[in-house]
Amino acid sequence: MQPDASALSAALRNAGIDAPVAEERLGLVARPAIADTPSALRALHAADYEMLVDLFGIDTGEDIEITYHVRSFTRDEDAYLKANLPYDAMLTSVWDVYPAALYPEREAAEMFGLRLVGHPNPKRLLTSDEFNVPVLRKSVPIRTDIELERPGISREHLKAAEEANDNG
Amino acid sequence: MALDRLTGEHSIAFIRSEQLFDYGRRNSLWYMAFGIACCAIEGLMHAGGPRFDYDRFGIFHRGSPRQTDVMIVAGTVNKKMAHVVKKLYDQMPEPKWVIAMGACASTGGPFREYPNVVLGVDKIVPVDVYVPGCPPRPESMQYAFMQLQEKIKQRTEERLAARRERA
Amino acid sequence: MANRRPAAKKQPAGKSAQPKQAAQSKQSMQPKPAAANPHLLGEILPEGAYEVEVLPKGLHRVPRGVDELATEHLIMNMGPQHPSTHGVLHLLLEIDGEEVITGEANIGYLHRGIEKLAEHRRYNQVGTLLDRSDYLSGLHSELAFSMAVEQLAEIEVPRKANWIRSLVSELNRIASHLVWMGTFGMDAGSMPGFLYALREREALLDILETITGARMMFNYVRPGGVLMDLPPEVEPMIRAFLADFPTKLEEYDTLIGKNEIMQARIKGVGVIHRSTALAFGLTGANLRATGFGWDVRKERPYAAYPELDFDIPVGETADCWARYLVRMEEMRVSTKLVGQLLDGMPEGDHSAKVAKVLRPPAGEAYAAVESPRGEMGIHLASDGSDKPYRMRVRGPAYYALSIIDEILPGNLIADAVMTAGSLDLVLGEIDR
Repeated sequence: MQPDASALSAALRNAGIDAPVAEERLGLVARPAIADTPSALRALHAADYEMLVDLFGIDTGEDIEITYHVRSFTRDEDAYLKANLPYDAMLTSVWDVYPAALYPEREAAEMFGLRLVGHPNPKRLLTSDEFNVPVLRKSVPIRTDIELERPGISREHLKAAEEANDNG
Repeated sequence: MALDRLTGEHSIAFIRSEQLFDYGRRNSLWYMAFGIACCAIEGLMHAGGPRFDYDRFGIFHRGSPRQTDVMIVAGTVNKKMAHVVKKLYDQMPEPKWVIAMGACASTGGPFREYPNVVLGVDKIVPVDVYVPGCPPRPESMQYAFMQLQEKIKQRTEERLAARRERA
Repeated sequence: MANRRPAAKKQPAGKSAQPKQAAQSKQSMQPKPAAANPHLLGEILPEGAYEVEVLPKGLHRVPRGVDELATEHLIMNMGPQHPSTHGVLHLLLEIDGEEVITGEANIGYLHRGIEKLAEHRRYNQVGTLLDRSDYLSGLHSELAFSMAVEQLAEIEVPRKANWIRSLVSELNRIASHLVWMGTFGMDAGSMPGFLYALREREALLDILETITGARMMFNYVRPGGVLMDLPPEVEPMIRAFLADFPTKLEEYDTLIGKNEIMQARIKGVGVIHRSTALAFGLTGANLRATGFGWDVRKERPYAAYPELDFDIPVGETADCWARYLVRMEEMRVSTKLVGQLLDGMPEGDHSAKVAKVLRPPAGEAYAAVESPRGEMGIHLASDGSDKPYRMRVRGPAYYALSIIDEILPGNLIADAVMTAGSLDLVLGEIDR
């Protein structure tokens, strides 16, 4: 499977979307602006990228990068669209192009604290109302040793065990 | 009949009703088919399966909490699931017991650092037996049931002893 | 499906479908005086009382009050605790009698933060987390992760390690499909099928315990290869299993599949058309049952699969029956693959030499394997440190579940149970 950027670039160019297409270690990656992603995905769907394989977000530290991983079975080709949007921004749903996006968009919105727009069911997916934090952001910590302390286990003992693990 | 060899033919047995009911309860502990996570495969399915057979202890799974004595909490309890666990516990009729199976149900397990996880199901329901392991082997679960049977027997004997003391 | 409902009473002209007008016309009908014959049905139930109201989209019902005879839609919870043990799946069903009008899956009861915790674990510790995501096929998730790390760090895996990886993957596939078969039969009421499946699974878990040391949380496939070499005592165990299993599998197929009741319950139920399946990101046996033969082992081969000779079963009718047939055939194919792998097992190292603390260079990688549920992918982003920057688990059952909201309407509740069972859902991988 030789990655060939021609089909991807042609599809984006025909839709009038200005997005650099590069062959990175991941594969073929196009980076449109976040406002262009719904029309970019519509163009890709029309260019025989039949399936949305995955949709998720990464907290880069400055913004959230949403990755759309699409696959064309006719050309046996995978492509990635990556778009950056600021924290607490609006994420436009692409469910009308790829219904596979219904669940992952809800999850990305609740995990990174985005607002979902154009989605038929924009409720939270995995968490409950009592756990209302954008937990996958790098700024949200996990529980510390102090919170996890139970009677009978001292912190010195835990630290010594961790150091022994690191050294040995 | 074979049992007549124990007691002799046409005999009458005397037993305190408490002890009889306690004997019945200990040897027919029915658990709820409530598998939250991975521990359910080992402790509910395999431990009840053909090799490790629960049925020889009288233990069997029931679908509805109204018909069960034991709730085996098999898996990680998180904040969304906590309400469900409490509701199911409330729906079980007395007398009821809870077995916290595995590290997750005992203290939060390998996921204890995640803020959504409840650090042990004993923060929600009272637990009678804790079983360590991730997942515990089916033999561990059977040993847990044996310990629970011992516990039920001990409690009954304590109650009878206390009543004798008062009398 | 409209033809399953009792035929609505014919509306006289002038009564439109709009609820407001119908309510007004009902109120205008006064009850007849007591002198009239009360046994005439037309007196007690005035015209128009049978019409089934078309509710707007969404899960709510229209209360009508107690003095008007009417049917309502009931909102029913199926789960998170229910006897068909698929884990903590909660289906909110809006039902009209026994028929499902709308269905919605409510998940998150097992959300334990595997993706978040992976950012705080070293690369050789992440396997312990992934074992617990899809707990029925832990080796596949570990393999996908190890492949992603090897892509980033450009580690070359020795040939023997690849063959061992495929061997344990196929054994794990048979074990997972046996659980699916047992619980699928149990959904329809076949308890013995479940016990037989567990008996075969005990033999497999003995083999996997001899190889990896554990019955369920293997933590065996590591970046670079596998943890330990195959012990010599495992080969006769696998041969004994291979000699015994095919005949047993035919027995179980007869018990469950050739049973008239089972066939009546799953033929024609839960049809997923190929376009729907592709649109919703479905992979694995669920997709192959629609006639689309995509298998990651053939199209994007990994481990030892480029050198192995096998066929992919593809179904025809795209219903629960097709998914059943495809998975039973997959078990037979896996049995043959295990035989091939054992016969051709090469000599060599079981793992490449990798650093104790892996620090792959910065970048992203995606690696996918064919797990028993479909394409299990791990998208790994590294920043050069000893812990992953972001790990995304692309679970196949996650996308299989999103199709449930689409295909449940129009089925009976019993069909909903069988459909959910035929999709082979594991909540550990859906909720992560």
